[in-house]
Amino acid sequence: MYAYILRRLLMLIPVLFGVSVVIFFTLRIIPGDVAQTILGTDATEEALAQLRKDFGLDRPVLEQYITWMSGVLVGDFGESMRTGREVLPDILSRFKITFELTMLSAILSWIIAIPLGIIAGIKRNTKTDFTVRIISLLGVSIPNFALATVLILVLALTFSYSPPVGYVGFFEDPIKNLQILLLPSIVLGTAMAGAVMRMTRSSILEILRQDFIRTIRAKGAKERLVIFNHALRNAMIPILTIIGMQIGVLLGGTVIIEQIFSLPGLGQLVLTSINQRDFTVIQGAILFIAFVFVLVNLLVDLLYSYLDPRITYK
Amino acid sequence: MKEFLQKLTDDKVGLVGLIGIVLVVILALLAPLIAPYKPDQMFTNHTLEGPSSQFLFGTDEFGRDIFSRIIYGAQVSLQVGLIAVGIGAIGGLIFGLISGYFQGKADQIIMRIMDVFFAFPDILLALTIIAVLGPNLTNTMIAIGIVFMPVFTRLVRSAVMTVKENEYITNAQAIGVKPSLIIIRHITPNIMAPFIVQITLALSGAILTEAALSFLGLGVQPPDPSWGVMLNDARTYMEFAPWTILFPAGAIVITIFVLIYWVIV
Amino acid sequence: MFNRKGLLVSVLLLFVLVLAACTNVGGNDDSDSQNEGTEGEEAKETDAEQVLKIANDQEPAGLDPHKTPAHSSVRIYSQVYSGLVSFDENMEVVPDLAKEWNQPNDTTYVFTLREGVQFHNGNEVTAEDVKYSFERILAEETASHIASYFSNVESIEVVGDYEVQFNLSNPDATFLSNLTNASAAIVDQEVIEENGDLQQVAVGTGPFKFEEWVADSRVNLVKNENYFIDGQPKLDEVIYYTMKEESARLSAIRTGEVDLTTLTAQSAELISNEENIEVKDYQSLEYSYVGFNVNAEPLDDPKVRQALSLATNRQAITDIVWSGDAVVSGPVAPSMGDWAIDVESHELYQHDIEKAKSLLEEAGYADGFDITITTASTYADMVDTAQLLQQQWKEIGVNAEINQIEWGEYIDTWSNTSADVLIGRNGSGTDPDRSLNYFFNTEGSANVWGFSDSEFDSLVEEGKVTVDQEQRKEIYNKAQERLLELSPNLFLVSPMKYVAVRDSVVNFTPYPHDGGRHC
Repeated sequence: MYAYILRRLLMLIPVLFGVSVVIFFTLRIIPGDVAQTILGTDATEEALAQLRKDFGLDRPVLEQYITWMSGVLVGDFGESMRTGREVLPDILSRFKITFELTMLSAILSWIIAIPLGIIAGIKRNTKTDFTVRIISLLGVSIPNFALATVLILVLALTFSYSPPVGYVGFFEDPIKNLQILLLPSIVLGTAMAGAVMRMTRSSILEILRQDFIRTIRAKGAKERLVIFNHALRNAMIPILTIIGMQIGVLLGGTVIIEQIFSLPGLGQLVLTSINQRDFTVIQGAILFIAFVFVLVNLLVDLLYSYLDPRITYK
Repeated sequence: MKEFLQKLTDDKVGLVGLIGIVLVVILALLAPLIAPYKPDQMFTNHTLEGPSSQFLFGTDEFGRDIFSRIIYGAQVSLQVGLIAVGIGAIGGLIFGLISGYFQGKADQIIMRIMDVFFAFPDILLALTIIAVLGPNLTNTMIAIGIVFMPVFTRLVRSAVMTVKENEYITNAQAIGVKPSLIIIRHITPNIMAPFIVQITLALSGAILTEAALSFLGLGVQPPDPSWGVMLNDARTYMEFAPWTILFPAGAIVITIFVLIYWVIV
Repeated sequence: MFNRKGLLVSVLLLFVLVLAACTNVGGNDDSDSQNEGTEGEEAKETDAEQVLKIANDQEPAGLDPHKTPAHSSVRIYSQVYSGLVSFDENMEVVPDLAKEWNQPNDTTYVFTLREGVQFHNGNEVTAEDVKYSFERILAEETASHIASYFSNVESIEVVGDYEVQFNLSNPDATFLSNLTNASAAIVDQEVIEENGDLQQVAVGTGPFKFEEWVADSRVNLVKNENYFIDGQPKLDEVIYYTMKEESARLSAIRTGEVDLTTLTAQSAELISNEENIEVKDYQSLEYSYVGFNVNAEPLDDPKVRQALSLATNRQAITDIVWSGDAVVSGPVAPSMGDWAIDVESHELYQHDIEKAKSLLEEAGYADGFDITITTASTYADMVDTAQLLQQQWKEIGVNAEINQIEWGEYIDTWSNTSADVLIGRNGSGTDPDRSLNYFFNTEGSANVWGFSDSEFDSLVEEGKVTVDQEQRKEIYNKAQERLLELSPNLFLVSPMKYVAVRDSVVNFTPYPHDGGRHC
């Protein structure tokens, strides 16, 4: 088991190396000049050249890559070209927000989706099942930016409510923090819930058809016990896969939702730095996101073997 | 495969879905015949008018007919769906087959590359690709396609690995049938069911991704109508002209609905 | 209202000036006409802490006044720093840190500083600080965006503790007004030495002290108790929230989560009747334009450009893109009052398809031609303008395709003139020198169009060194006429700006420069 984890962690190296190469060299191909975006129309040629020199952009690309990478390997992601702030602490503080948002959305979606999915699975082809399926479909088919804007408008007009402005951390002011994150979590949770709901339903259906459940039922076990002790545990694996994927994707930055709800998360950081061609920040953030994504996948795989002892990793 | 089609036609709901898809395709193909106006035709005296007999779904801020734009928008959605998912699915099929069948080095290399793409946040990957290629519909579709490729590759690869262990395959290998023949004749048909399910899911994903890219200003080039662009533009006007958001949103929801409904059954 | 990305469009608004012409659209003329925006505002509750919450659509790019032209930054650092002089509402130069100045000859300016003014860290402001600040601006390694404004400055001498002398290489009619630029701020050497630069800290002499900046979320400024103008500022704290989403800002002003926000024309219309909220508007200092690469066929022929101007229906652009609230503009925005010529009746501003067609025919393009219009996806108004022009130009056989690109690439396209037709927005400056010389002189640093006309060049060069206002005005009128005739750009319309204010805020009047400062 430990050997497996170690091997998976080692596999991180080529992936992260690949990501770093792709992002680094892509950035140097695409049109755009960080010096010009910073200095604007007033800048003289000399000022532009000076700034590019300050950023090391006048040196050969390979040399730039090596300089950057040797910093990254010792935990130094460099400084933002635009703000001059250190990249890594910025990424981490942004990640906290994205992480909290992701987890809240995920929890919200499970609370709704898993029970509804189970009910739909058990009561297959009834009105209840039908309703749940429709809800789940609606959840996955509305573009989230549309849902978000409509929600903001409707709440302001009907309840004269809008979330508090200015992000505060959970430990500074938990109530305000949750108020701020509630709406964006509902929007993200809606889309997640749809997918989780339909996965729960279908995997419950699948399990209930299997022989071992029939045997247990034949032995006269109570239906509730059958569902919770046996069916659900086995049904969790595909559900977990989809949850793992969703969390991985969301942690990469919920760009649109962060922007609509003015949350200073990772997605906004990346989007802004792409617009500004702030290379060091883009590189650092993408590398970090890839790292988190691979870790989440590993975690999901480990959870599999916990839920289903038949699955072992060598 | 047969079983799969049977399941599809047996199920009434599935049939409704299939008819729905066919309808969207017909709408897209016959857009010039069905739509009363051209999608970029501006009636500047009729800006932001509600639904009427002249403009069935009302007009947008330029006085363009929303009904016509939605019909032409189906073309965009269809294109995005077919081409983006086509790139993702065909690429994924080829790489997945090679990876799963031959395993070893090829598998290692392909899967590591896919891991790299997989690990990229999808909207950001699309953003980067579009930044490299320049924003237009084709490049957007290529970007979405590449984003989809790793999922298809993984799916095909794991299906191939299961099918490969079947006795008739090992038998064929033993009597010296060429690998290309085995792959085409015996493996591919047997992995179609999960593959097609993934295609439908990806189709709906493509429509949503196009909408998300439109929000970020990276969708189709104006004045081309795409549902995502219409939805995004409408956010400014939705309070006093709700029809501008209602109809494109409805188009997206209904299309995705018919696309994936039968998958869930 | 412009974001940190909006360098192209906001540069002009950096000038801190109040236009007399704008007070009549401010809708709050009974205010006591403070020339410093925030100082004139006060919240109604008198006992409680007076905190003004402002929603902005863009995040500041950095706080260094010498290095950051972005509008989103200017509105914040202009409250923290002071310059030597500033503008009053009549566009007259008035004292700021300098209590008086004189001009022994055409190329020498001597400023006498107020005594006893302290930076927020307690250091006293002396002539040395002024010398240091301007030398920092001029130093190449600073890469300052406003170095070009002061390229005439040959040397700066400290005459006494509170007396400093600027020696110019030649007479410069724009020198004093350039000094009013918020970026010409007086900074403290000690702070720069401690922090490397001023992007993340701000220690000035202005009415407010910088307290905290949470990236992509908010900037807090608190009252400077020792501000050199007695009784100012009235507010205890100002918080700038970054809220990029229009619907979020709209909802926050409706529910009172913020006291003040900028809005688009469409949103302004929506809440104009709501209780507790007042929408104030003013004519902005900028205009939208169509830029041409004047060296590429077919746009190298002035007749073709004139034809496109005649084919352009500016009224339709006003109605659709700006909800009817915009005025046609020449190269100098109408809000610059007397400096701007009247373009409304200009022959090239009349929507005349027949004439346009015949001009095209004369130029040898009777059947029209194909062209690509490039625009930035960041700004809906630019995309909408492009779509209207596409339809309008179709009428004279010009088939345009639209190429909508992302901001980083747009800036690149602009600076390298890699588009034939580019939609944009310019700030036209507080001085016609900027709107004309800077953008269209052969040597002008923002002349990316490849435009070169010796007659125009000599006019604007003469204007720069002419000190008599009447004469200057005449010169610049000619220069504008010349520019319209050659149409290296089509100047479209100058929009209104909107600020929504909760009734808890009193005495707030937006001026173009206030727009620069808050909104």
